[in-house]
Amino acid sequence: MRFKRVILRAATLSALPLLLSACVSASSPPAVGPDPAVGPKRTKEQNIELGRQHKTAAELFKFLRDEAKGGKKLEWNRLPDWSGVYSRPLDRGFNFDIDQPREGPTTAKLTPDYQKKLDKRLADLKKGIEWDPISTCAPPGVPRWLTEPFLREFVVTPDQTWLINEMVNDIRRVYTDGRDHEPEEDRIPIPNGDTVGFWDGPRLIMHTNSLKSGIYQRGNPDYTDQVETVEIWEKADDKTLGAQVWVYDPPALVEPWYVYHAYGKLSDPPRIRYWDCGENKNNSVFQNKDGTTEFRDLGYQESKTEKGK
Amino acid sequence: MKRRFIVAWIAVIGVVATGVTAMGHHSSAMFDQTKTVTVEGVVKKWELTNPHSWLWVEVKGKDGKAVVWGFEAEGPSTLARAGIKPSDFKEGTKLTITGNPMRNGDPQAIWVNAVRSADGKKFDPRAGFAVK
Repeated sequence: MRFKRVILRAATLSALPLLLSACVSASSPPAVGPDPAVGPKRTKEQNIELGRQHKTAAELFKFLRDEAKGGKKLEWNRLPDWSGVYSRPLDRGFNFDIDQPREGPTTAKLTPDYQKKLDKRLADLKKGIEWDPISTCAPPGVPRWLTEPFLREFVVTPDQTWLINEMVNDIRRVYTDGRDHEPEEDRIPIPNGDTVGFWDGPRLIMHTNSLKSGIYQRGNPDYTDQVETVEIWEKADDKTLGAQVWVYDPPALVEPWYVYHAYGKLSDPPRIRYWDCGENKNNSVFQNKDGTTEFRDLGYQESKTEKGK
Repeated sequence: MKRRFIVAWIAVIGVVATGVTAMGHHSSAMFDQTKTVTVEGVVKKWELTNPHSWLWVEVKGKDGKAVVWGFEAEGPSTLARAGIKPSDFKEGTKLTITGNPMRNGDPQAIWVNAVRSADGKKFDPRAGFAVK
């Protein structure tokens, strides 16, 4: 009996380092990070050419998935570090393509009809005529979502990644659990569309369809409800999360529009608060018949809110 | 709200390069971003709201009549990134403030910058779009 107890104690002691190690692992898994990517890194010129080589966003997405050998599902202890709060810098303006000079022509190759629409929009703007379709607090929608200069957070899990924009509390859900898009006959266009993706090492590669029409940004071209995107998201460095984006939209674009978007990590970010677009009636606007924007009921009122007291 | 004011007592500074317009949700085309107005007054109300905040400033004209000017800026988090806090503009705070005025002559503007009289602290709401 005594012999047995000694054996048990010895066994427990010898297993202690293992038990301790298991406890440490359970509370703080080793941050080993994702595997390296299988697919190559490409230059901007190569990405433009890659877009041209594929007729549709679905074809490009399939090519990238084949190139990555189908991708590999993330594991909880090998997630990329996308923590923090980010924002899109505005020092080069807020055009969809920040490589476009602030007052220069769009870098999109537009069909004649959509070029005319853009020319009119820019001519109207010079006369003070402009209406933004999100003036009534509609979400910006994809692909415009990429351009907004507000706070962003990114939540990465093996089955889904959430791309969060502070503006109108907006979340894009990227399904990486292996599911496909909704069947074509069951698709309902929504502002952020339907996004499926896969991981190639540290890169999230994704395809979005089922989108609604909109504008890329004020002073930028329109897109139609046939627009689709392929995006590759990856940390460019410790403080930058980048997205390589191809936009396909045959009625509006002669060829896919390739743009790189970069989001910088803030060193001292504020809290993100709920975005209630209707909390102040001074922000309510309407569109006049001539296309101009006018405040609905703007003015100082003594007891409107308690702020500033 | 079609009030129109003769703003002779306001310094119209002329053409400026304003850089970034208000971004919240509506067009800024109702503001003339080639012009600025600068007024001195006291804070009546500080509405820190999304998508735009409004700072309401009472300004006394040469005729002694008071007009309340509204200055539009971004929402609270963008202002926080510019170092502008809720406590910065209590009612009665004296300041000099500059903005791009409405084209229709109403007493509202996009807030470009401000200086608080008591301590000379400067406020630039558009600095909130910097990534640092």
